[in-house]
Amino acid sequence: MIFPFTAIVGQEEMKTGLILNVIDPSIGGLLIMGEKGTAKSTAVRALADLLPEIEVVKECSFNCDPNGFLCNQCRERLNNEGHLHSERKKMRVVELPLGVTEDRLVGTLDIEHALKKGEKRFEPGILASANRNFLYVDEVNLLEDHIVDLLLDSAAMGVNTVEREGISFTHPAKFILVGTMNPEEGDLRPQLLDRFGLCVRVVSIQDKGERMEILRRKATFDSHPEEFLTARSSEQRNLSGKIIMAKDRLNSIRITDDILGKIVDITCSLNLDGHRPDIVIMKSARALSAYREKDTIEQNDIKDAASLSLSHRLKRLPFEDISSESEKMQSILFRTQA
Amino acid sequence: MTFGNFVGHEDAKLALILNAIDFNCGGVLFVGEKGSGKTTLSRLFRNLLPEETPFVEIPLNVTEDVLLGGIDIEETIQSGRKVFQHGILDRAHGGVIYIDDINLLSQELIALILEAQGRGENIIEREGLALKHPARFILVASMNPEEGALSPHLLDRFGMCVLWERLKEPFLRIEVMKKAAHELFINDEDEDQDKKLRKQTALCRPLLKNIKIPGEIEEYITAKCIENYISGHRGDLFLLYASRAYSAFCGYEEVTQKHVDEVLPLVLTHRKRIFQQMEEQQREHQEEKQQSKQDEHTDRQEQNDPQSEKTNPEKPHNDSDQGMDNPDTPLKESSPQEEVFPLGNTFKTRHFVFRKDRLNRIASGRRTKTRSKDKGGRYVKSILQPRKDIAIDATIRAAAPYQKIRDRKETLLIYDEDLRYRQRERKMGHLVVFVVDGSGSMGVQKRMIGTKGAVQSLLVDCYQKRDKVSMIVFRKGRAEVVLPPTSSVELASKRLRDIPIGGKTPLSAGLLEAYNLIRRVTLKSPETRFLLLLITDGRANQSISKAPVGEEIEKVSRLLRELKFTDYIVVDTEDKKKFIKTDLAFRVASQLGADYYTIDDLKADYLADIVQSKKSELFGV
Repeated sequence: MIFPFTAIVGQEEMKTGLILNVIDPSIGGLLIMGEKGTAKSTAVRALADLLPEIEVVKECSFNCDPNGFLCNQCRERLNNEGHLHSERKKMRVVELPLGVTEDRLVGTLDIEHALKKGEKRFEPGILASANRNFLYVDEVNLLEDHIVDLLLDSAAMGVNTVEREGISFTHPAKFILVGTMNPEEGDLRPQLLDRFGLCVRVVSIQDKGERMEILRRKATFDSHPEEFLTARSSEQRNLSGKIIMAKDRLNSIRITDDILGKIVDITCSLNLDGHRPDIVIMKSARALSAYREKDTIEQNDIKDAASLSLSHRLKRLPFEDISSESEKMQSILFRTQA
Repeated sequence: MTFGNFVGHEDAKLALILNAIDFNCGGVLFVGEKGSGKTTLSRLFRNLLPEETPFVEIPLNVTEDVLLGGIDIEETIQSGRKVFQHGILDRAHGGVIYIDDINLLSQELIALILEAQGRGENIIEREGLALKHPARFILVASMNPEEGALSPHLLDRFGMCVLWERLKEPFLRIEVMKKAAHELFINDEDEDQDKKLRKQTALCRPLLKNIKIPGEIEEYITAKCIENYISGHRGDLFLLYASRAYSAFCGYEEVTQKHVDEVLPLVLTHRKRIFQQMEEQQREHQEEKQQSKQDEHTDRQEQNDPQSEKTNPEKPHNDSDQGMDNPDTPLKESSPQEEVFPLGNTFKTRHFVFRKDRLNRIASGRRTKTRSKDKGGRYVKSILQPRKDIAIDATIRAAAPYQKIRDRKETLLIYDEDLRYRQRERKMGHLVVFVVDGSGSMGVQKRMIGTKGAVQSLLVDCYQKRDKVSMIVFRKGRAEVVLPPTSSVELASKRLRDIPIGGKTPLSAGLLEAYNLIRRVTLKSPETRFLLLLITDGRANQSISKAPVGEEIEKVSRLLRELKFTDYIVVDTEDKKKFIKTDLAFRVASQLGADYYTIDDLKADYLADIVQSKKSELFGV
């Protein structure tokens, strides 16, 4: 049984970061940095309960989007039958354990099938189940390098291409990467860091009242999980309803030149690489305004989106440490709001 | 030996009893010197648990597949379908995992255990298998802090921690001897006592849920945690459960403040941050830094032209001996008094890359990749070149398509040509030997403050890469190993703080001491990789033999260069902003064949970051 999302006390940035990714998966995931015991993993696992349904090709193990890039199997079926049936499936949080081996990540030859039938068949790996779902890596900074390489490869292309053991297979692998890490244990490779659309830092709550509330809720959940879940169920339903509404509303929110101008104002005054930050801010500002049940993007949506999108992209010059750059960001964002 | 008979260590026994009453208490870590009974008591923990409770010990040499579970070779070949062989985590479900010397267990394995514990289940995605099973367990472990620290992350997972000291009272020590060799004395083993305890804990268990926890007790618990700067929220919860178990044990129906106070040291001792001290120092230097921002700006401009400084040592080689004997130093350099400087600012250090060699090793750590010799380490790929470690998944895959042709009846038909072997790789730590210049010249303009900051930054990097460290200081006519090889970076950091400055510079003595140390360690563990980090301004002015200073350094350098598996880095502490630069350290670096860095060069490499992110842009969106 999983501790419900809505019962997590505080940590609003982290919760918002996750929700925005549900509303618009193209934001590109979330990295949660923080000290131990601050509900990082709890929040990600709890997210599963709130996820909406997506349309997928019926009986496809790769969650192919009927209107998107198709896997080898679906392409073949489309060629033979002329059409594809679709069904609705709930999105999932797929976990990538640290002990994963290469063959299970990308997929490999299906041994049993080969033994029984003497035929080669592709056995889908984690990247297949992660397609159009959340891919969650706990302690992402401890992931083995060769696994990270494979992950980056398909994250960049949105496609997993397998050429091993006499198997050739291609399937879509677009996942929303969510990672948690404790920076005390080591850094993340810059390429991987850049893959995360948003980044939040969590610290333990120092407010006595809130801290007591955490204690109380966790203790109640431990002793009577079922009752706890029942008591929370309407709140959970409300939140998932709100997320679905925001998803529907998303495309009706217009992004005016004025808004783009404001975003670029922020990104130009900071020392940032590339254009990915601009795009991420734009998308998350739109998702935020949808979540806040508004029809237009407002100043504070941009500000909040920027603070979620930029903290891990600020460049560290050799003689300045990260804090001075982030102070600069705060002051720019403060001006934006005023 | 029985639990009830175990002499002394009442807090340790209480910790185990509370855990036996309620697994929510989260396990215990015993920290103490060797031979003090930690393991003995931990094993006796079994006597308090219901008989069917799993109690699994993890040996230090455990492999990943035994821990997590893997493919069952025999069954798979017999039956021709994938059969899973359960691992330790599965056997431990609902019980206790005991790890002796947990600080010596490899970081990768610890990460896997913690991952499963955090999730409450074990997810297996390996060797063609994909399945999961519940894995809820508590950890009981022991460690000897002299052999290295545990990451705060791992510490946090333990509900309780007991600092274990050897018994000092003579009568207790006599008791211990009698108990240890009980067959020589009157046999007073009282098995019934443990049965009674087991019964008592069993009786307490159902009472737990009826024990009242008043609001003011919750408030008291949180207040205590905030007061003690406990990071994260696990501490609060563990304190609550421990207090509740304690009330049950004492026969109360309601938790009182006294109960909380009794168990508080067990729960909170190990939760204070290791890095807290460092952060405080960081803050102290914040002000200083604000002031020096201006200087740093000019520094950066100079940095644009570093080439000329490095490749153009000021002095031609032939007169350098003389130069070293009588360094062109101002008077203040030879100030005779000794001084201990505080730690300067720390920073994120650049990423050092060392070439992976071809040696197969048994190793642990996180710095450099190495092929592994044993069956430990990550199975990277399957290869055709025969060795002892068969890659069963790849072998079966290779054989599978041909079973029909080979006319398989019952068992799988595997021919020689199907055999595949595992190439395994793991990361290893190095032994990093810090050779630090403690001579008077390092004290000029408080240069030692910045230098100590730089060394501290390198130590943090060593901690993250799980290196072992050792420290040699040379000053005043001799070199001294102030820290023999240890995994405790914390200890190194303490020693660093205490290094005094003063006297002449016997650089060759420092190098020779490092040479001897590396030779000694190599004899004991021949596969060790070394990193010699020489931190100096290079102004050597004292020799240990009759030879001139420069000649001596060259001789020792030649010796050092012959060492196997050793990399060298020279960190030049000379102030490069000054008009007169000697760049003497650069000469030492070239003699050693070492990589050369100034302190500023050590800072995390901005350029490399750019190159890497551009590279990912090319492949990405």
